[in-house]
Amino acid sequence: MLAGRLGPIALAAALLAAAVFGWRAWTGGEEAVIRARLASFVAAVNSKPGEGLGAVAHAADIGSYFTEDVQIDLGPGTNPIQGRSMLIGIASRLQSRLSAFELVLEDVVVELTGETTADVQLTASFIRRDTAAGLEPMDPTEFAVLMTQADGTWRIGRLTVVQVLR
Amino acid sequence: MRVLVLVAISVVLFKWVLLPVRAQGISMQPTFGSGSFRLVNRLSFLSGTPQRGDIIAIRLAGTRVVYVKRVIGLPGERLEIADGQVLINGVPLDEPYVQNRRPWTLAEVTMAPGEYFVVGDNRGMNRRDHTMGRVDANRIIGRVVF
Repeated sequence: MLAGRLGPIALAAALLAAAVFGWRAWTGGEEAVIRARLASFVAAVNSKPGEGLGAVAHAADIGSYFTEDVQIDLGPGTNPIQGRSMLIGIASRLQSRLSAFELVLEDVVVELTGETTADVQLTASFIRRDTAAGLEPMDPTEFAVLMTQADGTWRIGRLTVVQVLR
Repeated sequence: MRVLVLVAISVVLFKWVLLPVRAQGISMQPTFGSGSFRLVNRLSFLSGTPQRGDIIAIRLAGTRVVYVKRVIGLPGERLEIADGQVLINGVPLDEPYVQNRRPWTLAEVTMAPGEYFVVGDNRGMNRRDHTMGRVDANRIIGRVVF
């Protein structure tokens, strides 16, 4: 009798455990994909741009990590960047300055908010590559990132500076 | 057995009590040089709150990269910077740790409850390159103790 009563309970517990495991495996999988995507973005930013068309291609490569309608807010005193085209244009003009620094992302926290959306909190640091250049490293900055998935690819849809010190 | 105890103490110490940080940048010069290692006491403000002059660590998205700044303004106070001089409620603040000053200007701000004003010690750098401002208490990790 007791074994009979325990059977359904054990089955329910097993199903619940399987559901939790499956959910974690799926979300863990997508979180890992997003992290890998961000790592690939960092590698693209830090790769050496070429001259002329090479520089244009480099900017376009960086732009491919963002959605067509990306919104970027870099905080007070800056103009918002709206759209991938605008971003690529700005990236092209700033390449020579940014190439003196290396981008590092740390404390990356990924939270899936839906099947095709995720919120990411991270800290971005620009580390000076060449100390002889006389450039000072930029202060690290916290960002709130909205990632969206389309055609199986995660891209940055919105990037907002978090004002830690106001 | 002793080794296990030592390992356990080290784990507890560096996971919950002390946070090692490495200063990066020049904003805290001459107090801290860029590249110097420091320790932050996470338990500093379990009883008590940050005081003026405390050097604190401030978390961003996590604790691998933090801001290290000095508290100069407390909750409820009015703070202004005029020609490089910090004024608290209109009274000039004595800052013996500052060696060089550029004529920074900051319009008066008022700290809300639970807000502190933090700034680096290097006042000889360009104002626009120096990150400073009001921070919420819940972002403060602890006091730099070494």
